[in-house]
Amino acid sequence: MPTSFLILLVLGLGLVGWLVARGKAVKLATPGSRELHSLPRYHGAYVALWAIVPALIVFALWSSFSPQLISAAVLADPAAKALPTIAIDRAAVLSEAAELASGAIEVGFNPASDALVPAFKAAQAKFGLIGTIFTLLVAFSCGAFAFTRVRVGFKARTKVERVTMLVLLLASLMAILTTVGIIASLIFETGRFFADVSPIDFLFGTHWNPTEYGGTDQGENFGAIPLFWGTIFIGAIIAMIVAIPLGLMSAIYLTQYADARFRSFAKPLLEILAGVPTVVYGYFAALTVAPMVRDLAVRLGMENPSTESALAAGMVMGVMIIPFVSSMADDSIAAVPQSMRDGSLAMGATTSETIRRVLIPAALPGIVAGVMLAISRAIGETMIVVMAAGAAANLSANPFASMTTVTFQIVQLLTGDQDFNTPKTLSAFALGLVLFVVTLLLNIIALSVVKRFREAYD
Amino acid sequence: MTDQSSLWRSAAMSRKLAKRYASERRFKWTGVLAIVLSLSFLAFLLITMMANGVGGIDWAFLSGSDSTDPGTAGIWGAFKGSLLTMGVTLALSFPMGVLSAIYLEEFAPRSRWVDIVEVSINNLAAVPSIIFGLLGLAVFISAFGLPRSAPLVGGMTLALMTFPVIVISGRNAIKAVPPSIRDAALAIGASPMQVVLHHILPLALPGILTGTIIGMARALGETAPLLMIGMRAFVSTPPDGILEPATVLPMQIFLWSDEVDSGFVQNTSAAIIVLLVFLITMNGIAIYLRNRFEQRW
Repeated sequence: MPTSFLILLVLGLGLVGWLVARGKAVKLATPGSRELHSLPRYHGAYVALWAIVPALIVFALWSSFSPQLISAAVLADPAAKALPTIAIDRAAVLSEAAELASGAIEVGFNPASDALVPAFKAAQAKFGLIGTIFTLLVAFSCGAFAFTRVRVGFKARTKVERVTMLVLLLASLMAILTTVGIIASLIFETGRFFADVSPIDFLFGTHWNPTEYGGTDQGENFGAIPLFWGTIFIGAIIAMIVAIPLGLMSAIYLTQYADARFRSFAKPLLEILAGVPTVVYGYFAALTVAPMVRDLAVRLGMENPSTESALAAGMVMGVMIIPFVSSMADDSIAAVPQSMRDGSLAMGATTSETIRRVLIPAALPGIVAGVMLAISRAIGETMIVVMAAGAAANLSANPFASMTTVTFQIVQLLTGDQDFNTPKTLSAFALGLVLFVVTLLLNIIALSVVKRFREAYD
Repeated sequence: MTDQSSLWRSAAMSRKLAKRYASERRFKWTGVLAIVLSLSFLAFLLITMMANGVGGIDWAFLSGSDSTDPGTAGIWGAFKGSLLTMGVTLALSFPMGVLSAIYLEEFAPRSRWVDIVEVSINNLAAVPSIIFGLLGLAVFISAFGLPRSAPLVGGMTLALMTFPVIVISGRNAIKAVPPSIRDAALAIGASPMQVVLHHILPLALPGILTGTIIGMARALGETAPLLMIGMRAFVSTPPDGILEPATVLPMQIFLWSDEVDSGFVQNTSAAIIVLLVFLITMNGIAIYLRNRFEQRW
C-alpha cells in the first residue's frame, strides 16, 4: 500500500473520529442534562488528535526501522548465499536490489542484484503489510480510547489547547534550530578545512589560489587576505562612498524639506531600488556600468584596463544600499526630540544649519549604526560581485582593477565541483564562517548602539 | 538698542545673511540632487532593460523552455521552477512563521530561553543570503541526501530565509490589535487560546499576509543561495515535480547573462522584465492589502 494512501486513510479515520465524537457531545448536551465543559468541536478535535498523532508517530518509527528488517529477511533468503562477502560490495548489491524492487530504477548495474529482486519484493510486501495493519490498529484503538472519554464533565478544550500550545512552542524553536544549524554546519566543515590548512595561513596569508591545492604545504595557496581586502574595498569603501551621501541627503530632503505630496511618491520610488533583485543589478553592472567604467579608465590613460572592475561592482552595490541608508537615517533623525529642533530654529538658525549643527550630531549614533548595518548587507551581497567584480585575487587599491570578494569565491569554489572533501570546497565554508561572524558582529554592535541611542532620548 | 539695530542692518551683516541663505539653498539643492541621481539610476536601469528586452517578449518566449539557441529559448521552464520553489517556501514558512509569531507575542513567558529565540530571529533576518545556501548544501544535500537542483531543497532553503521576515511582520501585526478586543473576549469567558485564534489572529491576518507577500517577493528574486544548492541546471523541459531538476527565474537570468551569443542579451533583458513585473505585482498586492484591510484603531 502506498504511503500517501495510508496517511490519507489515517487522516480519514481522524475525520470519522471528529464527526462521531462531536455527534456524541452534541447529544450529551441536550437541554436538561448537566452542561458540557467544552464545546462539541473540542471533543471532536480531541478524538481526531488521538486517532492521528500516535498513528503517524508509529508509522514514522516503522518506516525508519523496516529497511533493516527487510534486508535482514533478504539475507536469510537462499538467494542471498551468492552475495559477495565483502561488506561494502554486499551493501551496494543490496541497495541496488532494493531500488530495483521498489521500481526506483529499471535496470540493475550489478547482475547479482537481479536475483535478489523477488526476495526483496516479498519482504517489502510482508513488512509493508505489517506496518500498515499496525498503524491502522494504533489509529483505531487510540481513537476509540479517546472516544470513551467523551462525557459531560470531560475537559476536552484544555487538552486540545495544551497540544496547540506545544505546536506553537515547537514552531518558535525553528529559529533556534536554524541558527544552530548554520553555526554547526559552518564550524564542522571549517574544522575539516583547518585540519589541512592552518588557520594562521588562512587568515593572514596573502596568496589565494585554491585550484592548485595538493602540494606539500597547502597553506600557501589559501591566504584569504586579498579576498578580505576586495570585500572591504568594494562593499565597505566604494559602495559606501556612493550610498552614504546619496542616502543621507535624500533622507534629509525627504524628511525636512519635501512637502507631503512629493514625499508620498518619491519615497516608494526610492524603495524600489531595494526591491530590485540583485541578479538584475549584477546584469546591469556587467552589461552597462562596467564598459562605462572601462572607457573612463582608458580616458584616464590606463593601459589595458580589465572589463571587470571593483568600481563598477561597488558603485552598483552602493546604489542598491541607498534606500537602506536612507531609511535608517530617516529613523534616527526622526528620533531626535522636536524640542531640540525647535530650540535651534528659535535661536535664528536656518533649516540647513539646524540640520548640520543639531540634528545630525544628535542623530549620529543612529546614523553610524545604520551605516554598519548597510556595510554588513553590502559585504554579504553576492550576485553583483559574481557578475561584475572578477575572479582574480588582487591586493590593490586601484578601483579599476579586477578584484574578488569572499562571496564571489564561495560561489566559485562550490559550483561545478561535486567532490565535498577537498580543501578547495571546504575552504568555502571557512570563508562563509568568517562572513557570518563579521556580519553578526556588525549587526549586534549596530543594534545595541541603536537601542542605547533610543533610550537616551526617550 | 540703536547700536544693535544699526548693526543688524549694516552691510557686513547683510552679506553674512545672504551667505547663510545661499548655503541654505545649496544644501536644499544637494538634497534634490541626491534624490534625482538615485531615481535617474533606477530609470536608466529600467530603460536599458526595456530597450534591450521588450522586443524579445512574445508567446514563444513565454511558453518555451531553455535552449542553446537564443531564438527558441523561453522562460516557461524557469518560471514553473520558480512556482514550485515558491510553493514549497510558502507551505513551510507561512505556518511556521505565523505559529511562532503567535507564541512569541502572546504566550511566551519572559525568560532567557525566549530571549535567545528573539535574538536569533532578529539575527537570521540579517544573515547574508549566501550563508543560507551553505546551510542548505551542508544539511539538506550533504547530510539528508536530498537531490541537488530540486525545487524541494530550494524551497526549504528559501523558507529558512523567509521565516524570520514573516515572524517579525506577524508580531507587529499582532501587537497592533488593541487590548480592548482581547479584554472583551476574555471577559465573556473565552480561554486565552480562543482569544488568540478566534479574535486576534483574524484581525492581524491582513498585516501578516502583507509581510508574507513581501518576504515571498524577496525570495522570488533571490539567486545566491540557490546557486549554492546547484539549481543551475540546464532545463529544456519544464520540471514536473518538486524532486526534479529545475531552475528559477533569477537563475535563468544569471545563466543567460553568461552566454557568449549576443542573442541572449535580449533574452536576459526580457526575462528581467518578466521578473520585475512579477515583483511589482506582488508588492502592489501587498500595498493594496495593507490599505484595504488594515484597520486603524
